[in-house]
Order: sequence, then C-alpha cells, then structure tokens
Amino acid sequence: MIRKELWFGFILMAIILAAVAILMPWSNMTNGHLGLLMLGLVVVAIMLGFPTAFTLMGMGMMFAFFAYWSRSDGHSERALQQTLDLMVQSTFGVMRNDVLISIPLFVFMGYLVERANLVSKLFKSLHIALARVPGSLAVATLVTCAIFATATGIVGAVVTLMGLLALPAMLKAGYDVRLSAGVITAGGCLGILIPPSVLLIVYGATAGVSVPKLYAGAFFPGLMLAGLYILYVIIVAKWKPHLAPPLSAEGRVVELPAATREINDTIGTRVFPSLLVALKGKRNQVITTKELMKELWISLAPLLVFIVIMGLTWNALTKPNEIQDVSGLEQMGAVSATENTSSSLAEPPGTEVKEPTAGGVEEPPGTEPAKEASIAKVAEPVVEKIADKLPPSTAPPRDPTPKSFWIVFAVGMTGLVVFYAIFTYTRLEIFKMLLTSFFPLSVMILAVLGTILFGLATPTEAAAVGSLGGFVLASVYLLLTQPREKIMQAAKLWIPLWVVFLVSVFWFIFYKSEVVASPPTEWMGVLSMVAFGIWAVVAVIQAKMLATVRESTYLTAKTSAMVCWLFVGSSIFSAAFALLGGQVIVENWVLSLGLTPLQFMLLAQFIIFVLGWPLEWTEIIVIFMPIFIPLLPKFGIDPLFFGLLVALNLQTAFLSPPVAMAAFYLKGVSPPHVTLNQIFAGMLPFMGIQIIAIILLYVFPAIGMWLPETLYK
Amino acid sequence: MQKILIGVDKISTWVGQICAWSVVGLTFLIGWEVFSRYVLNTPHGWVLDAQIMLYGVLFMMAGAYTLSKNGHVRGDVLYSFFTPRTQATLDLILYFVFFLPGVIALTYAGWTFFNDSLKINEQTFSADPLPLYPFKFVIPFAGGLLLMQGLVEIVRCVICIRQGEWPSRIADVEEVDVAKLKEMVDVKDEDIAALDKYVVAAGEKK
Repeated sequence: MIRKELWFGFILMAIILAAVAILMPWSNMTNGHLGLLMLGLVVVAIMLGFPTAFTLMGMGMMFAFFAYWSRSDGHSERALQQTLDLMVQSTFGVMRNDVLISIPLFVFMGYLVERANLVSKLFKSLHIALARVPGSLAVATLVTCAIFATATGIVGAVVTLMGLLALPAMLKAGYDVRLSAGVITAGGCLGILIPPSVLLIVYGATAGVSVPKLYAGAFFPGLMLAGLYILYVIIVAKWKPHLAPPLSAEGRVVELPAATREINDTIGTRVFPSLLVALKGKRNQVITTKELMKELWISLAPLLVFIVIMGLTWNALTKPNEIQDVSGLEQMGAVSATENTSSSLAEPPGTEVKEPTAGGVEEPPGTEPAKEASIAKVAEPVVEKIADKLPPSTAPPRDPTPKSFWIVFAVGMTGLVVFYAIFTYTRLEIFKMLLTSFFPLSVMILAVLGTILFGLATPTEAAAVGSLGGFVLASVYLLLTQPREKIMQAAKLWIPLWVVFLVSVFWFIFYKSEVVASPPTEWMGVLSMVAFGIWAVVAVIQAKMLATVRESTYLTAKTSAMVCWLFVGSSIFSAAFALLGGQVIVENWVLSLGLTPLQFMLLAQFIIFVLGWPLEWTEIIVIFMPIFIPLLPKFGIDPLFFGLLVALNLQTAFLSPPVAMAAFYLKGVSPPHVTLNQIFAGMLPFMGIQIIAIILLYVFPAIGMWLPETLYK
Repeated sequence: MQKILIGVDKISTWVGQICAWSVVGLTFLIGWEVFSRYVLNTPHGWVLDAQIMLYGVLFMMAGAYTLSKNGHVRGDVLYSFFTPRTQATLDLILYFVFFLPGVIALTYAGWTFFNDSLKINEQTFSADPLPLYPFKFVIPFAGGLLLMQGLVEIVRCVICIRQGEWPSRIADVEEVDVAKLKEMVDVKDEDIAALDKYVVAAGEKK
C-alpha cells in the first residue's frame, strides 16, 4: 500500500525517467547525451532524499572520471588523477569564493535579530498603528513579516513566530482561517526576495552577477510583491468584510501614561502646542518638567532628523568642487586597495573564470559631483592635496543650491507640518512604540542595504557590520527584559562606552560631509574601537548574551555548511557536465527550436516553476542556473533581469503544495482544527499574486532594472 | 554500539562547534577592518585573505557536524513520507554509491593538494602574505571527519533497518525550535488549543 502523498513524487520521477529514456538516442550516444542523462538522473537521485550535496559530489565524480577516461584512450590512471584534481580544485574554489563569504555573515545577523525577541513588540505596535486600515491585522502581519523576514531571512522561524502571534490575534478578531494562514505563509517567505537575502547571493555566486546589482534590482520587485499582498488584503477586507472584520473599539485603545493623559485631558490633544503651553507653567503640579522635556524631545525627533539630513545634504550639494575631489579620491583609493588584494587568494593558474562580481562594488555612486571629481582628479592631482591642507575659510564660495533640493525641502516641511497638526498624544504613544521596535530594525536593514547599494561597502563588509548591529539590537532588547535596577546598573557602563565609540563615528560622518576639516585622529579611533570591544564583552556578561551568541553561532555554522557544501557538490557536478559537453547539446537543442526571447523566457521560468515542486531553491539555483545562464546571451537577456525573475519565481516554490514548507511550519503551531488543506487554500491567492508580480516585472522591466541602472551607470 | 556512534557524533560536533566560532571572529575582524579602513584610512592587506580563510574553515569543518545532526538539505518530496526502514535502505545504498566514493576521493585528493602546498611552503599572493598550506589542510581534515561521520551514519542505517526505527541522536540547537519560540513570545499550548473555538465557530457559520 503506497500512501497518496508518495504518488505525486513517484509520478514526477516516472515522468522524468520516461522522458530521459525516450529522448536519449540510445543507439548512438555521445558524451553530451551522457551529460543530459546525468542531469536527468540527478533529479531522480535527489528526489530519493539522500543529502543533495553528496549526491551531486558522487555523481559528478563518476561522470567526470568517465569523461576524462573516454578522452584518454584507456589511461585510467591519468583520468583518475585528473578527476581528483578537478574535485579538489572545485572544493578549493568554493572555499575561497569571495561572494559566498557573505552568506555566513548574513545568516548570523539573521539569527541574532531573531533572538532579539522584538517580533512581538513589532507586531503589536504595527497593528495599533495601522488600526484604521481595512483588514488592519492582516496588513500589520504582512508588514511585520516583510520587515522581520528581511532582517532574519529564516522562513521557518518567521512563519512559526507569526503563527504564534498573529494567528491567534486574527482568529480572535474573527478573521477567516484561510486568509489568516495565507497572509502568514506568504508574508514569511518575503525574506527570500527582499534584499539582503541569501538567495540572491547564491544566484550571484552561481551566475556571476554582482550581488549589489542584484540587491538593487530586487529591492523594488520585493516591495512591489509586499505591496500587492497588502493591496489584496485591503481589497478583500473592503469587499467581503466578514472575512476580515475591522478592529473593535477596545482593540484600538492606546493606554496613555499618567503625565500625558493629564495634559491630554486638561490642555489639548495635540502634542506640540499643548506641551509648550504646559511647559510655560499652565499645568498640574503632578507632572515634572523633566517628564515634559522628555516627551517634547521625542515628539521633536522627526523634525530634528529631517533638519540634520537636509543640512548634510545641502552641505554636500553646495560644497565647492576641490574639497569634493579629496573625498572622491579617497574612496577610490580605498576601493582600489580592495581590488588589488581581492585576487590574492586566487592562484595564478585558476581554472575558473574570474567572476565579474566585484565590478558593481567598485563603481563610485553615480552622482554628478563624483564625475566632476574624477575629471578634476586627472587634471590636477596636486590641487587636492593643497585643498586638503588649506583651512576651510580660504575655500572657494559654495555652489548655488539646486532647485530640486528646495522642492524636496518644501515637500518635507509640508509633510512635517501636517504630521504635527495631527500628532495627538495617542499617536505619540504609537510613535514611541514604533520607535522601540519598527525603527531600529528598519534603520538597520536600510543601513546595511544602503551602504551596499551606494557602493560604500562590499556586501561582505555590510553583512559583518549588520551582524554587529544584530548583536547590539539583541543585547539591548535582552537587557530590557531584566529587572529595572539591573538595567540602570548596566546603563552606567554602557552609555560612556557608547559615547566614546560614537565620537569617532560622528566625527567621521561630519568629516565626510565636510562639516569638520580633519578626519578622526588615530588615537581617537583606536580608543573608540577599544570602547566598542569592551562594550561587547560587557554586553555578553550583563545582558546574558552568551547563550544567544553561542546558539546563533552554531546555527550559522550548520546553515553555512548546508549551503556551501551544496556548492562544493554542485561545482564538481557542473564541471563534469561541462566536461561531457552536455551544455553544447542543450544549447544546440534550444537554438534549434528557434524560440523567440519571450518564448525562451517562458519556457525557462516554467521549467524552474515545475522544478520548484520537488527541489529546494538552493538545489535549483546551483544545479540548473549554470545550464540556463550560458543561454541567456543568445537570446539577449540580461542575467541580472533573469535572476530577478528567478527569485520571484522561486517564491512560488515555497507556497506550492504539497511540499510548501511554510504550510507545515504554520500547521505546527496552529490550533488542531486548522487543517493543512485550509492553509494550502489560503496560500493559493497569494501564489496567484506572485504570478501577477512575475508578469508585471516581465512587462515592465524597469521595476527591477531602474535602480541598478541608475546606481551603476 | 550506540556509545561509539554517539562518541563519533560528539567529536564531529565538538570540532564543528569550535570552528563555528570563527563566524564571530569573522564578524569582528571585518568590523575592525571596516573601521580601520574607512574611518582611520589604514587598510590591511592580509585581512581579505584572513577573512576568506575564516569562512572556509567555518563551513568546511561544519560539514561533519551538520551531517551528524542530519542537517544537510535533502530532496523532501518523497523521503519524509517513507517508513524509517525504507528511508534507511535507500540511504544505505546511496551512502555506498555516492557518499563513500566522493568523500574518500576528496580526502585523498585534499591530502596530496595539502602536501604539494606544504612542500613549497606556499603563501598567499599579497603584499603581506599569510601561509596558505594550513588552509589547504582543511580539505583533508574536513574530508576525514566527514568520512568518519559517514561511516557512523551507515551503521545507523543498518540499525534502523533491523529495528524499524532511527537510533537517537544527541540534541542540538535547532533552527526552528517551536518550544523555545513559544516561550520567547509567551504563548502556551493551552492558548493555542483555546483558539479552536474560533476556528470551529467559523466553520459552523458556513
């Protein structure tokens, strides 16, 4: 008796075997056909469930040996030696791959952030903040998922956590079971696409596309997909309110602290004017000035941030050219240092083609001043040195402020005025909640992403700094769970250390934005670094971070081993496939079909979609991308654009039954009467949206390609 | 028997976990280098090589550790629906067909690769070079560990075929530890069970 779940797999397997058996020209097999046979066999072998990395390694080795042997006129010893060389070279190639190195770092960041335990805060604050939106709970779930999944990238953990937090909330509010399940599973998978995601690194490493470009390209499609999900939920909530009823009145109530409630009741509901009135003296004795000042500072924060950012931008835009040159030069100098050293581990007679990945990073941000800088640099290298030494007072007058700056400024100011006009105490409370959950995480993600996209740092560097950021977040949140006196005690040590650390950082920022003339002195920098190091040790002790770091470390090792060993296996396998000449046959066959680029694209995406059922995304990318990528130039398709479509496409693999793992994670934490079928049914509309998103991206490639094209001209 | 199996598991785990800490080293090394290069403008040539080495050690040495925790990615369309006996039989055959030849070859090739490098005292190709042969030694070492762990897994398959169920492994930190996540967000099983009334009520309405 075979269980019905097995039938699906067996049928798939039988189809593949039958296709291989029929298509093979058994009477006159060439090595190339053998390569195709190997490809068919490997899919079947993977479906048997043996660890894929070793399936690939073993099969690759056998076929590589055969390929060498058939060329060597029976010198089996030489063939064996060549096979061994191939294996060890492929393995070493993965070990010194400077793209894959960012995987452990991003994974580490994800585990640290996951353990910071901010997801419940994030969800609660977002759901109150979004209370007025139709289907608010579902929308809040999607937004939480998008942010949290982006930061962690661990589908299982995000779906489980949201299943524990959001599913009860939605069910209690009378949401439809299927809609709730669909929202959680679809939202949990968003981290696969929205950068910084591991999938894009794996694709970049396989296809030789620069990771920053992929990140830039996937940014808007990721946001678009999340946006489409949210739009769908809002439409459903408006159209069929019984599926997603609006929040009840008590669900929306925000508790105000004593001080602000007092002002709210006696003086006025709007924060800004009433606080000023209260400060002037018209208030109850209960509230201290200190408390009022605190509220005032928090409410002023958006304005201050806006002014600082606009001020720095204005400074950067209008500063005279000579000084700009120095920073441009320095950036290039630093970058060229990277360029020189990056190849040092590569042995001179390397077998692989050097990937063009570094190219994206090296280009300076494509702004106007940077261009001028490089022109001026060529013309007069001496001037810059002089400009560096000259005091700022003798610098030439500032450039005129561009009009666009004033437009942005005006729009921003209007926005702020509107914001303060409707800024009530309730909203202040919501703002505070967001300040402690939503903003730290999104600022961290944007900082990591921003530095990569603008070419300020390589993905590896950004990932490492992101991991440190994750460590900081986790330790702060873990500290906050401790009793109050412990927090105060820790703060006495933490704050001075952070002040020392931040001195250099701000000094550096001000130096870069030309507010200060000289860079931070060396002793100050060293002091800052030491301060951070001491803080890290102190944080591990005081916030009891050791267990968190240890667990994250071990998990990182296991996840990296899983992905990178797969790379080891697949690089041996791909080498064997290339040796056998399978690629040539595939190419000839595809070209003989006389497809248009559109047809080819559809075929490729369809194959990937079908493979998404039995295989995981890692396997699909590392095994099949090396076959598709060489075909792309023949059809004039940009590998970058293809990668974006693949990334969107593989999203559906996570939601397609019967192997959608997101569904199983959700089932594991949902009440017993929620069936798998209900969850699958809930996922279907979201799968539909994913397909719409793929079509949208194909029809309007600018959604993905605009940002990389603008940034890396 | 179980004692030996667990003993080998422990060795793989121990080595893997020690090398796992290199991710912390990697984080701080790059963090320091970023600060040093961008803020202080004093880049170090060897850091790039060192970070690649740390990364290589991290994932290579964790290979056996991951295998001992059954953590390598498997094609899961059929496997989890098989009975343990079928799983073990398939695994056993494939360990002999794919795993053993592949890993033995890799270990052997890695050993010669390392020895060639040691003979010429190979160094990295940069302004301030680091010795390269210890890094190459990682390949045979990781391969050997993996081989040992693979033999243990083969024994496990045999045990499973005889007994009809998989022998136990030592517990380890898991990526999705539902119990731990429940504790983290403070949700209890009763709370989840209590939710059933909403699900059932919604079902009855239709």
